[in-house]
Amino acid sequence: MAEARSRLLTDAAATPSPAVAIPREATAAALLAALAAVLPFLLGWLSVAPNRLVSPRPVALPMAAAALPLGLFLLCCLGVALLARRRALLPWAEAVAGLALLALLATLGLGAGAALEGASRLARVAPGAGVWFSALALLLAGGCCAAGRGRMADATPTRFLAVALPGLALLVASGLLDPLSLLKEAAQRGPELRLALLRHAVLAAGALTLAAAVAVPLSLLALRRPRLEAALMTLANGLQVVPSIALFGLLMAPLAGLAAMWPPLRAAGIGGIGAAPAVIGIAAYLLLPLAAGMLAGLRQAPPELIDAARGQGMNERAILRHLRVPLGLGAMLGGLRVAAVQAVGLATLAALVGAGGLGAIVFQGIGQLAADLILLGVLPVVALSLCVDALLAAAQRLLMPPGTRA
Amino acid sequence: MIRFDAVTKRYGPRAAVDAVSLEVRARRICVLLGESGSGKSTLMRMVNRLVEPDSGRIMLDGRDIAGVPPEALRHGIGYVIQSVGLFPHWRVAQNVATVPRLLGWEDARVAARVDALLDLVGLPPDRFRDRLPHELSGGQAQRVGLARALAADPPVLLMDEPFSALDPGIRRELQGALRDIHAGTDKTILFVTHDVEEALLLADELAVMQDGRLIAHGRPGEVLARDAGPAVRHLFGEQTLAFHRLGTLPAAGAARPGEAAAAPLLPEGATLKQALMLMLEHGTDQLAMPGGGALHLSDILAAA
Repeated sequence: MAEARSRLLTDAAATPSPAVAIPREATAAALLAALAAVLPFLLGWLSVAPNRLVSPRPVALPMAAAALPLGLFLLCCLGVALLARRRALLPWAEAVAGLALLALLATLGLGAGAALEGASRLARVAPGAGVWFSALALLLAGGCCAAGRGRMADATPTRFLAVALPGLALLVASGLLDPLSLLKEAAQRGPELRLALLRHAVLAAGALTLAAAVAVPLSLLALRRPRLEAALMTLANGLQVVPSIALFGLLMAPLAGLAAMWPPLRAAGIGGIGAAPAVIGIAAYLLLPLAAGMLAGLRQAPPELIDAARGQGMNERAILRHLRVPLGLGAMLGGLRVAAVQAVGLATLAALVGAGGLGAIVFQGIGQLAADLILLGVLPVVALSLCVDALLAAAQRLLMPPGTRA
Repeated sequence: MIRFDAVTKRYGPRAAVDAVSLEVRARRICVLLGESGSGKSTLMRMVNRLVEPDSGRIMLDGRDIAGVPPEALRHGIGYVIQSVGLFPHWRVAQNVATVPRLLGWEDARVAARVDALLDLVGLPPDRFRDRLPHELSGGQAQRVGLARALAADPPVLLMDEPFSALDPGIRRELQGALRDIHAGTDKTILFVTHDVEEALLLADELAVMQDGRLIAHGRPGEVLARDAGPAVRHLFGEQTLAFHRLGTLPAAGAARPGEAAAAPLLPEGATLKQALMLMLEHGTDQLAMPGGGALHLSDILAAA
C-alpha cells in the first residue's frame, strides 16, 4: 500500500507536471464559473408579472427560443474554468468571462421575448434571481483572473469590462433586451434618466472639484506645518463620523439663512435645498481621502533625497515639481480614485435634499415599491463608479514615472 | 577659500558646533574628522546654508555667505552625501545635469558636459547615460553623485561621508578616484568622515572635532605629532597613533646616503608606514631608496 503510494508520488513528480503552473486564482475562478453556469437553473431564469405593480412569479426558460446563446453561455463558463488553469491564459479567461455575461444576457432577452408572446401588453418580464447571481459570479470570476496577474494596482478587470461594456451597448442597441421590464422602464423614462445621469455626474464632479480646491492647497501648506496638518486631518476624520443625511440636514439651515441674508446667493442657485448643500456635503466626505492621499504622496520622496535636492540649490517649488509630485503621484492618484468613487456613490443621497441625480429615480422606485425603477437608478451609479475607477487606475499606471515603478 | 569665524550652532541647550574657527585654503582637501555627534556634518552643512549658524560668520572666497541667497550659493558648491540621493525617476544624464539645468544652460552644452563628467568619474557615457539609478551598483551611483556635484564646475565641494556605505574595496577605488580628480581639477574640498584611514589617505589638512569643538587642526603629520592631546590619541587609537603618524611622513625625508646592497627597493613617493610594512614583509632592517640612498629601521624609529 505504502509502496503503491510512493510510486504514485514519484510518477506524479516525474511527469512534467502542469500542477506547478496552475495559478492560485484558478480554483476560485473555476468555482465561480461553475456557480454562474448552475445558478440560473437552480434559482430561476425569468419571472413574469401581469403588470409593473404586482409581484412577479418565476417561470421556466423557453429553451427552444434561446438555445443558441444558452449553449454559448455554458461553453464560455467552461472556457473560463479551463483557461484560468494557465497563468499566461488568465487575461483570456477574464475576457471570456465578459463574453459569458453577454451570452447570459442574450439568453435572457430571447427567453423574455418568448415568455411574453401571447401575454397582455401590461405584462412584465424581469430576470430571475439566478441570473443576477450568475452575473455577479461572472464579474467576480473576471476580477479573480485580473487579480491573478499580480499587482494590486492592476486588479481592475479591464479586459472583462472591455468585452462586456461594448457588448452590452450592442445588445441594448440591437433591441434584443427590449422585452425586459427594466428596458421598458428605461425606454419610458429615457429623457428623465439621461438628465438624472448627467446631473449625477455634475454633482459628483462638482463635489470632487470643491473638495480638491480645499484639500490640495491645505495639504501643501500642512506639509511643513504640523499643527495645520493635525487640524486638517482631525477635521477630515471627524466629518467621516457624521452620518451623511445628518450632514445634509445640518447644512440646510445655515445655507438657507445665508441665502435669505444675501439675495444674490439665492439668485445664483444657492439655498438650503438643492445642489448647494449636496455638493458641500459630499465634498466634506472627500476631504479625508484627498488630503490623506496628497500628504502621503508629498511625503513619498525620502528626506535624504530632499536634502540632496536642496543642497544642489533647488528651491521648494522645484522640489515640489521635480520630486514630491512625480514621486508621490501614485499615492495622490490613489486618494483621488477613492474620492471619485466615493463621490459617485454619495451623490445618490443628494436626491434627499432635492438636488436630483440618479438617487431621485432610486427613491421614486422605493416609494412605488417598483424594483425595476430602483434598478434603473442603481445600475448607472454602479456603472459610473466602475468607469471612473477604471479610468483613474489607467491614469495611475500611465503617469507613474519609470524609476518609481520598480 | 572657506573661513569659519567663531561659528556656533545650538540645538536646545546643547551646542552642536561651539565657537569653531577654521580656515580651509584653496585647492586643498580638508577632512573634518570626528565621531558621530561631534558636529562635523553640522559645521559642513553651514557652508551651503542647509544649516544657519546662531552666531559667527562664514566667509567663502572673501564673501560673507549670509548675504548670498541660499539657492545661488548652492549652485556654486558641489554637494555629495552618503545616501547619494540620486533622483530615482531621472536617468543618469538628467541627474548629472541637475544644476546646469537649474542655471539654464543650453541643451548641447549640458549634454557635452554630462559626457565629459561621466568620463571623468570613470563611467563610459554610452553605457551609463540612459540608466536609471536603481540599475547602478553602490559604487557607480556614488560616482554619478560625484559627477553631479562637479556638473557646474563649482570651486568648492562638500562631501558628507560619501564613501561610508560602500564595501571596502569599492571605497578604496573611489578614494583613489577622488584624489585623481582633485589633482586634475583644483577644487577646494571639505570632506567629512569618521574613518581614520580614509581621513589620512585624503587629507591635505585635518580638522578634528569633538563635542562641537575643533580640537586639532593642521597637516596630518602635525595633528598626529608626539605631543597630540588625549582626545586625538583616543580617536586614532592609543596603540596605533605612532603607526598612523608614520603614514603621514614621506620616506624620502628620513633616508640616508649610501647604498643598501640586495635590499628591497621602496616605490617612489612611499611613506614611512609603507617602508616599515616592506621591512616586515621581507624580514630585513634596510631598504633601497628609488633615487639612490638607503633607509634603515633606526631611521624610521628616529623619525617617528
